[in-house]
Amino acid sequence: MGWGSVVGQGWRYGTLESRLLIPRSIKVRLQPDPFLNELTNMFERTTEKGSVWVTLKHSSDKSKVKRNKMKTAGEKIEFKCLIRATDGKKTISTMCSEVGPKDHQRFQSSYATILKARMTALKKRERKDKRKTADSDKKQDLKKQSKPSK
Amino acid sequence: MVYIESWDDFVEKSVQLFRSDPEKTRYAMKYRHCDGKLVLKVTDDRECIKFKTDQAQDARKMEKFNNIFFTLMARGPDADISEGGGKEQAEAQPARRGRGRKQQ
Repeated sequence: MGWGSVVGQGWRYGTLESRLLIPRSIKVRLQPDPFLNELTNMFERTTEKGSVWVTLKHSSDKSKVKRNKMKTAGEKIEFKCLIRATDGKKTISTMCSEVGPKDHQRFQSSYATILKARMTALKKRERKDKRKTADSDKKQDLKKQSKPSK
Repeated sequence: MVYIESWDDFVEKSVQLFRSDPEKTRYAMKYRHCDGKLVLKVTDDRECIKFKTDQAQDARKMEKFNNIFFTLMARGPDADISEGGGKEQAEAQPARRGRGRKQQ
């Protein structure tokens, strides 16, 4: 919970890197919950300009050398889901494993909730407009029909 | 790389790509609030599959797609992805219907 409290205060009292003096270029590995907090901040920071990238990758979180050693030793390599997010200025990442299925599902649903809450600039389905155009078409048709009758 | 127009094609090709090379394939999502644009990309650095949208309904489809990829990446390429999606749908649909009836 140590990380959680740091990030929880972070958005109130300054950004995470300024508090911990982490250079922007370094990738910050976070626990899932602080990651989601920081992701929310990223979305907030980029509302007026900029983009957010979120990348998912199948990863063992081990170097290639170590993986090869484990392979030759016949050890089973555990793969997890690595999630990275960046706004072009700083990068955060977290690991999401199937070992704790509850955490995994909770992370998935919180991530979905954040996306839903933040992606508000996308266009809604234009049902009403379609109806309007359909109506106007009908009106035009009526006009056309009415014209010959005159 | 040309953007894929059909959502179903995009999903199918992405899953195929991941299964052919799980260790190299990554799935990236780019969201640009000021332009209201969303781009999904799946690549293994040899092939690149992209999907672009500005529609909110596609964000809902993306949610399912995210779940598929979370499952694939955490459990491995052999994971059953139809199960998770089916449950989600089963849970989501009655809720929507419920709301619809109330409004009527």
